[in-house]
Amino acid sequence: MTAMRSRLIALAALVAVSAPQLGGQAPKRVNFVSCPIVQDTATVPCWLSAYEGQEYYLGIQTDISADFDPPYLGHQVLVEGVVSDEPRICGGVVLKPVVVSPLPELDQSCSVIRPAVPQFTVPFAPRPPGPSGGRLAFDPPPSSSVDLKPPYGARSFELFYDFDMLVMGRHSGMLTEIFNYAQKVPGARLRVAAGRGSTKLSNGKVLTERPGIAKARAEEIVELFQGAGVSKSAMQLIWRDDPESADGVDDWRSRRVTVRVEP
Amino acid sequence: MPSTIRSRSAAFVIAAFVGTGLLLAAAASSIGVTAQGQPIGRWWPPGDGRTLPAAVDYANADGALGILNTAGAIDTTGHPFFEPIGTNGRACVTCHQPSDAMSLSAATARERWRDTGGKDPLFAAIDGKNCPSLPQDDPASHSLLLNRGLIRVFLPWPPQKADGTRIDPEFTIEVVRDPTGCNTDPQYGLASSSATISVYRRPRMAANLKYVTAAQFGVSPFIVKNGQPAARDPETGALVSMNMMADAREPTLRTQAVSAAATHLQLSGQLTAPQLDRIIAFESQIYAAQRVHRDAGNLVEPGGPPALGPAALTGGSTGTLGNNTTRFVFPMGEGWKSLPRTGDGNADARNAFRESVARGHDVFFFRTFWIRDAMHINSVGLGNPAKRTCSTCHGMHMTGMDTVYGWMDTGTTNLPWAKEPPVSPWSTEAAELPLFKLTCKATVAPHTFLGRVIYTQDPGRALISGKCNDIGAIVMQQFRGLAARAPYFSNGSARTLRELVDFYDRRYNIQYSDREKDDLVNFLSTL
Repeated sequence: MTAMRSRLIALAALVAVSAPQLGGQAPKRVNFVSCPIVQDTATVPCWLSAYEGQEYYLGIQTDISADFDPPYLGHQVLVEGVVSDEPRICGGVVLKPVVVSPLPELDQSCSVIRPAVPQFTVPFAPRPPGPSGGRLAFDPPPSSSVDLKPPYGARSFELFYDFDMLVMGRHSGMLTEIFNYAQKVPGARLRVAAGRGSTKLSNGKVLTERPGIAKARAEEIVELFQGAGVSKSAMQLIWRDDPESADGVDDWRSRRVTVRVEP
Repeated sequence: MPSTIRSRSAAFVIAAFVGTGLLLAAAASSIGVTAQGQPIGRWWPPGDGRTLPAAVDYANADGALGILNTAGAIDTTGHPFFEPIGTNGRACVTCHQPSDAMSLSAATARERWRDTGGKDPLFAAIDGKNCPSLPQDDPASHSLLLNRGLIRVFLPWPPQKADGTRIDPEFTIEVVRDPTGCNTDPQYGLASSSATISVYRRPRMAANLKYVTAAQFGVSPFIVKNGQPAARDPETGALVSMNMMADAREPTLRTQAVSAAATHLQLSGQLTAPQLDRIIAFESQIYAAQRVHRDAGNLVEPGGPPALGPAALTGGSTGTLGNNTTRFVFPMGEGWKSLPRTGDGNADARNAFRESVARGHDVFFFRTFWIRDAMHINSVGLGNPAKRTCSTCHGMHMTGMDTVYGWMDTGTTNLPWAKEPPVSPWSTEAAELPLFKLTCKATVAPHTFLGRVIYTQDPGRALISGKCNDIGAIVMQQFRGLAARAPYFSNGSARTLRELVDFYDRRYNIQYSDREKDDLVNFLSTL
């Protein structure tokens, strides 16, 4: 593999990052669906997206040790973020934290790559666009791994998904953590609980994942662990096809599977 | 490198240096030369019984390939890699010829047809022919082997797990074009009683395998590209690199040998444990790389690039990501960056070529471009597009493969990027490869970059995994011994290194200059 992704989960770091409080007021959140935009720079590209005339900065290209996965041109992206008061980057209002989720269907209208211009720089980029200096951009990755020290009691793990999607490469780290933990627990049983998410957008609409996605996620997790050597009889799966309610605050957490490892 | 310099040396003489002295000077021919200067036949027929020397050079159009056996010379008499242990007269060596970097070039296949009237076991009906049902003696029946060096790979459809249970694929498959007739053949096709799909692929190098099989950097119980469970060695349970075959279907050298003996050699029984041990031991001790270049001269002289030549491969670290400036994919050093001109025409031309090779390395390593819509690279955290370089994907130290789980869709088999003949009233070029239409089912997400309907010449990894996102994803091959084993890509669609470079230039709109292309080709030709 081009580089090893050992982060715990793609989005776990965001849980620990509390939304900034601006003057004691609730943070301003923006949740929207729009095309991503690539703003090239002299080093790595910035990723932006526009909503209601405002461009927002999402992140930069680094490598697969990062918690931020840049979205895809050719797809619209669901952006769920908090407006920060940090200086603009690449002309965009900084969203921090931010969760980006490419929508599954192709949209070839999302195709904008803007050329590099002198006023947009990313001096904080941890690695250049080509070969690294000998280490990954984030080494160790921002998310810490699960402590595998005994005692090995019951423990829950969460996997968060892109909208309407199943397991992707970035889940391999979390799946490995669960698998390794289950190996430590004598007679481990895995309880897999999957949900169907929804997100309240800033325009008031609610975006709901497709029916059946919860069942598909639960069954896939069981199949994956079975493929890795876990007995199917040691796994219990449940799913809830009713979408979780959305209030526009960290709704990305509703696109979730919880795996509880029990002795 | 300017083509003028290359053409100056067209009537080249190979000068092979071994150890400290010049041992031979031989015109390019169909022989190899041992380290002791003794000629050795180029073609290794099964059961030949000769001794394979510890070191041997084989001439090719760009110079000479070096083969190095770290275990020393071996007597091939009775050796299961060299003996026709199956029922069709072939041996492993039939398609893994030392002169062809332990692979098989299309030129060698044509030479065998010419020399044997098509009677060589290489052309066995099972997979040395476009389809077993075609007339055996007609060269047209073997066109893919003769024109592109392709072997028929026939796989069950739908795919099966190792235990034989069926996988429910995420897509349906239709045959759109079937120039070989095999995918619509009533006995061998998709609609036959034992539904089979035939794709056509190049034999891979059976050399430098310590790199290919290393399960180190990036190995994980769940594949970091797609989260699927990683394959394991069925005997030890250890995780494997899944880097050996175009579709990663065999996890170990051992299972690959068993499978290859049953299919390619049509072995009716089973390989014995001692036979397997000998095959694997041999495959694990053979190294192959270009050692002499007609324009660059001796590639392994002191002060030269540390990556070049087969001996360098014996010492390289395995499982190492080289996409960085501490290890490098191909360490080239500084020695060829800037070389003197002395007024000696030959020496100056050699130095100019060496500088071109050094520049070509830097094009490979540092020249950024937008990598776009490439499944299993853009989808693994880099975004689409990603501004990166060749070495982003081709990152394994010393080979240019991926370190593990090396399948990607760079467009070599999937349309719209795969090379297709023009279709027009004015074109007489006929398509050689089958074309399939794959439709991702409504119950799954469409392919991330190609949508729900995909046309492909070879579904690649998807024929094993059944996954929509694996359609056309092919495990990358080594970048070594390239001069000895044209054509390139799994479907042999690039006849030359220049065509290989041109493919990527088109695919990613890199806009290489002519000089960059020449430099890159020259660099690749020395590996």
